[in-house]
Parts: sequence; structure tokens; C-alpha cells
Amino acid sequence: MMTIPRYLGWAVFGLMVAWVLFVYFPSLLSRIQPNTPPGFVRIENGWVYALSGLLVVIGLILLYSWLVTLISNRRAGRKRSFLPLFGQGLTHLFMFMVLVFAYYPVLQILAASFDPRNTLYRILPPASDNLLVRARVIPDFSQLSWENYAKLFDGFVLYPYQAVLLGIAALSLVVVLILGAYRRIIGDDQSNSPWAQVQGRSLTVFAIVSFVLVIFLSPSQFTGQGTEAKFVLWVRNTLFVSGITGILAVLLTATAGYAFARFSFPGRYSMLLVFIFIQMFPGFLGLVATYILISNLGLLNTFTGLVLAYSGGIISFGTWVYKGFLESISKSLEEAALIDGASKWQAFTLILIPLSAPMFVFIFLLQFVGTYSEFIVANLFLTGVDSWTVGMGLRNFTTGQFSTRWGLFAAAAVLGSLPILLTFYGFQRYFVSGYTAGSVKE
Amino acid sequence: MYRSPPGARGFLIAIGLLGGALLVSALVGLLTFWGLQAAFPRPIDESYPGYLILIFATLVLIPILYWLGRRVPYLTDWYYLLPAITFLLAFTLFPIILTVYYGFTNYTGIRNGKPDRSTETEVVRVEDRQLFVDGNARELLRCDQPDCAGQALEITTRTQRARVTAEQASEGRITLTTPPPFTPTLVYKINDFKYVGFQNFVQIFSQASTVLFPVFIWNLIFAAGAVFVGAIPGLILGLMLNNKNLAFRGFYRTALIISWAIPVVISVQIFTAMLNVQFGPINRLLGLLGSYPIPWLTDPEWFKMSALLISLWLGFPYWMTATLGALSTISDDVYEAAKIDGANGFQTLTGITLPLLRQPFIPLLLGSFAFNFNNFGLIYLMGVQPGVEGRPSTAQAADILITWAYKTAFQADGGQAYGLGGAISILIFFLTVAISLINFRFTGALKEVR
Repeated sequence: MMTIPRYLGWAVFGLMVAWVLFVYFPSLLSRIQPNTPPGFVRIENGWVYALSGLLVVIGLILLYSWLVTLISNRRAGRKRSFLPLFGQGLTHLFMFMVLVFAYYPVLQILAASFDPRNTLYRILPPASDNLLVRARVIPDFSQLSWENYAKLFDGFVLYPYQAVLLGIAALSLVVVLILGAYRRIIGDDQSNSPWAQVQGRSLTVFAIVSFVLVIFLSPSQFTGQGTEAKFVLWVRNTLFVSGITGILAVLLTATAGYAFARFSFPGRYSMLLVFIFIQMFPGFLGLVATYILISNLGLLNTFTGLVLAYSGGIISFGTWVYKGFLESISKSLEEAALIDGASKWQAFTLILIPLSAPMFVFIFLLQFVGTYSEFIVANLFLTGVDSWTVGMGLRNFTTGQFSTRWGLFAAAAVLGSLPILLTFYGFQRYFVSGYTAGSVKE
Repeated sequence: MYRSPPGARGFLIAIGLLGGALLVSALVGLLTFWGLQAAFPRPIDESYPGYLILIFATLVLIPILYWLGRRVPYLTDWYYLLPAITFLLAFTLFPIILTVYYGFTNYTGIRNGKPDRSTETEVVRVEDRQLFVDGNARELLRCDQPDCAGQALEITTRTQRARVTAEQASEGRITLTTPPPFTPTLVYKINDFKYVGFQNFVQIFSQASTVLFPVFIWNLIFAAGAVFVGAIPGLILGLMLNNKNLAFRGFYRTALIISWAIPVVISVQIFTAMLNVQFGPINRLLGLLGSYPIPWLTDPEWFKMSALLISLWLGFPYWMTATLGALSTISDDVYEAAKIDGANGFQTLTGITLPLLRQPFIPLLLGSFAFNFNNFGLIYLMGVQPGVEGRPSTAQAADILITWAYKTAFQADGGQAYGLGGAISILIFFLTVAISLINFRFTGALKEVR
């Protein structure tokens, strides 16, 4: 095979960079119209002030680290460079800026959700002494209200038993979170310590109670006017569909992954290839066909139909990941069991399934999170406000009458992303280890 | 223990038996369903739900499988694959095959093979092959051909429906090719689609220079760019946070994951609001720094930049986490040795850390490229795009292949051309396969399976 000289690659890369820098960027800049719309605050050469401000902060950090090192050197009578401390200071400054970048959208959406006016599309600047607020770079927090949130819960009737269940769920969740934080502080990372067991039980209680709540919430409990008053129902629909889809994903992939990892039947390799290549077809472009299939099965506008339509999505990936995970577990335990007369099914259910909990959690969560934020398929299969999902509801707020529903979108976005945020932070460990266990192998 | 016949023979026997079992049970399910319909007819508006077929088929399948497992013990290995295979066949492979087929037809939202309810015509009287209607049959049915020759029609009663073909139609009379199986009360025209060969592909390639090539090139640039803008900041952050002496390390690490944890359907819509030319906070901030309002979402080229900016925000936590994960597998001994040999920080970075990161990063980079190549959610959720002259509304400035296909197939301004959309999907499939093959070549994923 002919090898391309190394410098040629770099030369092409250099040319591309040069083109982007000297041709593309100037053309981009020339597309900016030099005019300011009403209410737009522009400061000529503002970047000079910003840069000087940044340099002053860096100078202060330099001064601080130099002084601290000087004093500690005097006391201890040694000679150390102040550079490491300065470097740390710079790192913190940089991290602070990245945090601002990462949380700026979150700040904006939080502010908008508490603002009953439509701050996004108002021309008049808010009356404030702060230049940043007047320019609307920092949201105006002068008029906070729960109005947007109240609209989402308008006319929602909660039966007493549901309130009690909700209380139990909230309590167990709080216990889980507090225990998690406490265990992190005392450095308890064993999974069989007493605190871990209490935590695990509370999580189970939370899961069961939430499940009951989701199942028994009915559309008749929503008496409010307007589509937005059904928000809780949408959350419930989404949780229901995502949960069932996640469980189905685990059920479908578990046995297949086991067979691929442990059996050596003829055709195993070709089946694995089939699994990979099927996954490469852009799934939802088969939507018309899936739609026809589901409609012929008489399952349109039902959650069952939607779950079935989603079910194909993760099978290939999940099977591969679970197969990879099982291959990293030693075979000796099962082999001992098989010699003792256990069947393959027994070896799988009694030995491997208990060991696979983290992987099942990973596959479940992956499908759960993916389904939760999906809205294209849902949009096609579900009709009627009562069966909408969160994604569809949010899209409804932003398309069409965007300007008038921005506050509602914000409130719904904040509440709607909470389940996923909690799941993600709660099970962060599983997400990270799942990706590495399944896909990255030495 | 049991033993399977080796090689291709064993494979074929197993596949044959399983496929046979699935086929037989599906047939029995279908026949039972039809039998039920015929024995206890119900009005066609509230006919028996189709999922009964699935239930009947499952009821038949289980005993067949049990019996087969007894007779051919090695087949039980395959039973573990059966749930996954069945679902893949039904809800992934079947739609794929159907889509490929549609790619060779002129299927659209109107020509969908369904009866056209607006052509509902009452049948007054039936005589052998002739249906008599009140009024001009040609006008009522709005046939494609002037005399309705060969037009597919649907005839219904309260409980029955059937598909027939018209031989010709005239004032007050429709002649069918065969006598109707029952005495119909209503007749509809069926908007049939037909096989058109490679016409859709010809259409795509005939406008390749204005649509296919620009979209494909932008698709490649977007996928590569999205990986680049996510991976480089993520790598830098990961390297910085790997410093064990840094205070608040865990806090930064946890806090910075936020953009990964917010559902994309929410975060992309927040960004499109923030990038608004006049009112968006991002332009307001840049205005304070002396910039004029940047047309983020109204200029074609800036729209692409916005897509990359959002990719940056969405992508860097993943890469930060990946970097930290990969770095945690590098043993401290290596660094100790480097320190003893007198390497400075920069030398350690370029000589040890980066080369060691290369190995775990290659599959992640290629995987991320493949993901972004078909990153439908981001581009679609960014909303209405600025127009580019000479391109259809389905393939605007920042449209990638998959959004182009989707808009062609599902949006009214694309004419809901499912056939054309199916053809584009086939192209995407081949491109994705090509990318993945390169991926496997680099990572050696397939060799390992053997």
C-alpha cells in the first residue's frame, strides 16, 4: 500500500487552516451589518476594557501568589517558586470562565421561567443602574414570580393518596441524596456497608412509589384550561414510555448479549455483523414504514405502539455493550456451576444476572434518557394533548406562537429536565463505566 | 451436552428452523385473525385490532418452540437470541426493507396506496361486474385515466372491504375487471403508488451540484467540526482537571457535566433563543464588547457557525469525561520515571500523556464522527434556516443529509415525497456503512470478535 508522506498531510491541513483564517473568517465578518437595532447597547472598543479587566485580575492573582509564597518561604525558611500557585490561580480563573459559559444558558432559562413578562422579545430595556442588566446580558431579576409555574399546574387535582405517595417518594429521594453526599464525605465507597444498604432500599422505595404514581395518574385529574395545564400529564406520559422502553431494552438485549458472549454456535459471527449493520441504517427514516406497521396493528395513538416503535433502536448497541461486559467477567464461576449440573439458563439467571446490575442500569438509563428527549417519533404516533410527551409539549410552546409562550417554555424546560438531570447526576458512575466497559477495550 | 452441526450447515439449519417457526406462527396468527373476522364480522370502523395477530402468533409460537427444543436440543442456544432477533426483524429490518422499496416508487403523502375518502361514492345497484352510481362516475372518482381504465378502487359494506380494479367507467356506471366478492354500498378511488425504477436516484443525481454535493460536503465538515470543537476543549479541560493538586477538582468535574445532562430537545431550543439577532443575550454580550449584532440564525454561513457553537457547548463534557477516564488508566509510575529522567511538564505532556491518549481516543473520535454525521436532533431543532438561492426548501444552509431526507419525506413543502426520502436514506445508509468500515479498520473491532 502506498503511504502518504507525513508532511503532505500537514501541508494540506495548514492550507485548510490558512483558508479558514484568511478567506472564510473575513467573509463571515463582512456579513455582519454595521447597524444597531433599537435597545441594543453597543460599546465602541468594549473588548479593550474587558481585556484590561482580565489582565488586572491576572495581575492580582500573580501578586497574591507571589505574596503568599514569599510569606510562607520566610516562615519555613525555604526557597520555593510561586509559579505553581500562580498556575493554579490561572486554572481556577479559566475554570470559572468555562463554568460561566456552561451555565449561561441555564441562568437565562431559569430567569425566564421566573419572569412573567416576555423578557426575550421586549424592546424596551429594563430600568436598572447596572449596565449589564440594561444591556440584558444578565437577566433582570427585579420581578420574580411563580406565575409561569402556576400555569403549568393550573387545575391539577391531586388525590389524597397520591399526595401521600408523593410525600413518600420525595422523602426517600431526599434520603438517597443525603446519604449519597454523606457517604462521599466520609469516603464510604463499599457497596455492602450499612449506609449503602439503607440508600439502596430508599432508592427501591422511590422507584416503586414513582411507578405507582405514574401508573395511576389519569387525564381526568387535569381540569385546567389551555394546553399548558397538562404539563404534569406529559411528564407522566414521558416517564411511562421511557421507563417501559428502558425495561424492554434490558429484557431484549440481556439474553442476546449472553448468547453472543458465552456460546459458540455456528453463525455467531455473521449474526454479530447483522446486528452491527442493521444499526447503521438511519433508524427513523424507516418512520413511514414503522408508521404503516403500527397503524396496521391498530396501535396508533397508544403508548404500546410508541414503545414498540422505539424498541428496535437500542437492541444492536445494547447487545454489543452487554456482550463486551460479559466477556470481561471470568467464566470460571459459571463453568463450575455447569459442571455441577446447572443448565445454561440457570447459570445465566443465578450467576450472571446478579453480577450484571451495573450494565443493566446503564442500558436502561441510556434508553430512558434517549427516549425522554425524543419527540419526532412521538409527534408522529401520538395525537391529542392528553397523550403528548414533554418534548412535544415543549416544541409546541416554541413553534408558532413562540414570542408569547417563552416564559411557559422556560418553566416547562426547567421542570422537564429535572428528572433527567437527577438521573444523570445520580447515576453518573454508571454512565461513565458503562461506556468504558462495553466499548473501550484494550 | 448437545452439539450443533458445525459450520454453515448448522447455521442454516438453525436459521431455517427458527425462520420456519416464526413464519408458521405468523401465518397461523394471520389466518386465525381472518377467520375471526369472517366468523364474527364487525363494522369496519371498529374492526378487530391488528395486534390480535401478534397475540395469536405468540400463543402458537411458544408450543412450537418448546417442541423444537425437545427435538433439536442445540437450537435452544438460539432461543436466547430470539427476542432480540424478532424485534429487530419486526421493528427495524422490516421498516428498512420497506423504505428501500419505497425508494424505488413514487410514494408520496397523496399517492399512499390508501382509499381517498373525498371520492366516497354511493353504489346504488350492482349487476354482475357493474356498479351503478348516482352521477358521473368519472367525475365522482376523479380517476387518473379519462375512462378510469385500470384504476384501483376500494369497495366496502358496513363490515367488509375489498380492493378491485376498474375496467372502465362512464356516466352512472363502473365496470370492474372481476365481479365484486360481495354487494358493496360504497366505492372509493385508491391513490396508488407505483414502481418507478431508479427515477428518484436520477432526480437526486441530476441536481447533485446544487443539492447533493453541497449538503454532503457540509455534512462532512459539520461532523468533523463538531468532533473537533468538542474534543479539543474537552481534552484541555480533562488535562487541567487531572492535576491532583488542584482544589475543587471534583466540583468542577461534576458541575461541568451540566450540558451533557440537559435533554438536547431543551438545550438546543434555549440556544436558538439565545442566538436571536436582536434580542439574544449572546449578541447583547458581544455588543458590550464592541461588536455589531451577528446574524447567527439569519445568515447561511453564520447559521453553520451557530451549529458548531452549540456542538461545542453540548460536546465538551463528554470529551472531558472521556479524557479523565483514559488518563486514570495511565499508571503514575510512568510519570515518576519521566520526572526522574528530568522531563519538564511540556515534555511529559507531548512525550507521554498525548501519545498514551491516542489509543483510547481513536475509536471515540470515529464513533463521535459517525454520531455527528447523522446528528438530526441538533440541526432540526435549530428551526427555520435562512434560505440559499437555488436550493429547495428541504436542503437549506445547514441541512445535513439526514435532515434533508426527513424534510423531503415528512414536510409539506417537501411534498411528503416518501419515495424520494427513501432514496436519500439509502444513500445515507451506504455512506454510514463506509464510515463505519473505516472505523472498524482503524479500531480492529471486527477482528476481535472472531
